[in-house]
Amino acid sequence: MAALRTTSRLFTATRPIFRSQLRTMASVSNAPAAAPADETAKMKSFSIYRWNPDEPSKKPHMQSYSLDLNKTGPMMLDALIRIKNEVDPTLTFRRSCREGICGSCAMNIDGVNTLACLCRIPTDTAKESKIYPLPHTYVVKDIVPDLTHFYKQYKSIKPYLQRKDPSPDGKEYRQSKEERKKLDGLYECILCACCSTSCPSYWWNSEEYLGPAILLQSYRWLADSRDQMHEERKEALDNSMALYRCHTILNCSRTCPKGLNPGLAIAEIKKELSF
Amino acid sequence: MASIVRPAAMLRQSCLTAAAKRTFSSKPASTFPAINKPASSILSRQAVRSRFAKDALPGSMRVAAFHASGRQAILPPLPQTIEGTVNDATPVAPANPASGSYHWTFERVLAAGLIPLTIAPFAAGTLNPATDAILCGAILIHSHIGFDALIVDYVPPKRLPKTRKLFDWGLKLATVVVGVGLYEFETNDVGVTEGIKRIWTA
Repeated sequence: MAALRTTSRLFTATRPIFRSQLRTMASVSNAPAAAPADETAKMKSFSIYRWNPDEPSKKPHMQSYSLDLNKTGPMMLDALIRIKNEVDPTLTFRRSCREGICGSCAMNIDGVNTLACLCRIPTDTAKESKIYPLPHTYVVKDIVPDLTHFYKQYKSIKPYLQRKDPSPDGKEYRQSKEERKKLDGLYECILCACCSTSCPSYWWNSEEYLGPAILLQSYRWLADSRDQMHEERKEALDNSMALYRCHTILNCSRTCPKGLNPGLAIAEIKKELSF
Repeated sequence: MASIVRPAAMLRQSCLTAAAKRTFSSKPASTFPAINKPASSILSRQAVRSRFAKDALPGSMRVAAFHASGRQAILPPLPQTIEGTVNDATPVAPANPASGSYHWTFERVLAAGLIPLTIAPFAAGTLNPATDAILCGAILIHSHIGFDALIVDYVPPKRLPKTRKLFDWGLKLATVVVGVGLYEFETNDVGVTEGIKRIWTA
C-alpha cells in the first residue's frame, strides 16, 4: 500500500511537466499576450499590411504586432503563424510547405520580395519589420495577392514537353547527362512570382510582357533537348512585348529566393532568337 | 495584372465616382473655411462628374479609394477584369521579327558600332565628310530607337491610344527635324566632328 502511494505521488508530481510537453492543436493561447517585466524578452515589432475585402470602405493600413523572439521560430513565417495563432486570427496569408518548395508565402519583407519561410527574422529588435503583399499585384486580402494573370501567362507558353514523333523505343525520351545539365538552375523555379513582381518593366507592362519567371520557364523548355517545338516556342516570343520589354534591370536575379538567375535565362533566349 | 475576384460594381472606377458623390453630398464646404474657394471649385467639378455617375451603388461600395495610392493616377486604370476564364491562357501575339529579334540585334550592333565610329575621326586625325555622315546617321537612328523604347514602355496603347499616337508621330517628327538639322550642319557648316573639336578646345 505504501509502495502504491509513492508511485501515485510520483505520477502526480510528474504530470504537470508531462502535460506541458503535450502538443495541442493550434489555438488562441490563454496565457497573457505580452508578459510584462520579462527582462530576457527580445520584443520585435512587425508592421503588416492589412486590407479586408469585406470592409471595402476602409483603406488599407499597416498594423503592428510585437512578438518575443525567444519564443518565436527563426523565420518570418514562424512569426506570421504565431501572430495568427496567438494574437490576431484574422491575419490572412498563404503558406504551405514552410521549406521554400511550394512558393505560397511569397511576400515583400523589409522591401525585398522573398519567401517568408526562407527569410530569417532580423535579430535587430530596434527596427520594425515591414511586411507587404507582392508589389503591383491586386490584393485579395491582407498579404494574399491575386496571381490569376501570372498563371494565365504561364499557361500561354505551353509549359510541357511537346513532341512531333514518338520515342524510338516506344518508352521514355532519353537525354544525355550534358543535356540534362542544361536544365539545372531552370527546373528549380517554383513560380512564387517574387521575380516578376520585382521587375519594373513587368509593373508597367504586365498585360503583354511575360516577366522573368515565365521567361525562365520558357527557356527551360527551349533548353530541353527532348522538346521538338523550339521554332514555335521562339516564334511566340518574337514580338516587341513578350520578351523584349526586358531591359536587363536584373531585379529578378537579385530577389530570387531560390537563388536562380532569370536574367541569365532571358539573355540566353535573346541570344537564341538573334543568332 | 487583371483580377477575377472583384465584381464589376467594386471596380476602382465606379468606386471613385461614388466617392466623389459622397464627398459632395455629405461634406459641407465650410468645414475648411481657409481653403473655401478651391474646395468649392472642386466640389462643383465633382457635382458635374457625379451627374454621370451610376446611382445604383449600395452603401458598402461607396468607398474613398481601394488603393493606398492617390486619386490622381498617371495612367487610367486597367479594366481589372480578365479575358476569358481563369483556365484560358493569355493570348500570344503574332510573330513580328521586325520589332522583335531583328530589331534587338540591329539595336545592339548599332550601339556597339557607335563606339569605334565616335573614336575613329579623332584617332585618325582626319576629318572626312563620309565618316561624319555615317556617325550622324548612326546617332540619329540610335536615339530614335532609344526614345521609341521609352514610349513603348511608358505609354501603353491599350490605355492611352491617342497619347500613344501623338508620341509616336511626335518622335518621327523630331527625328526628321534633327536629321535635317544635322544635314544642314554638315553641308553648310563645319560638321559634327569639327564642331565638337572646337567646343572641346574652346
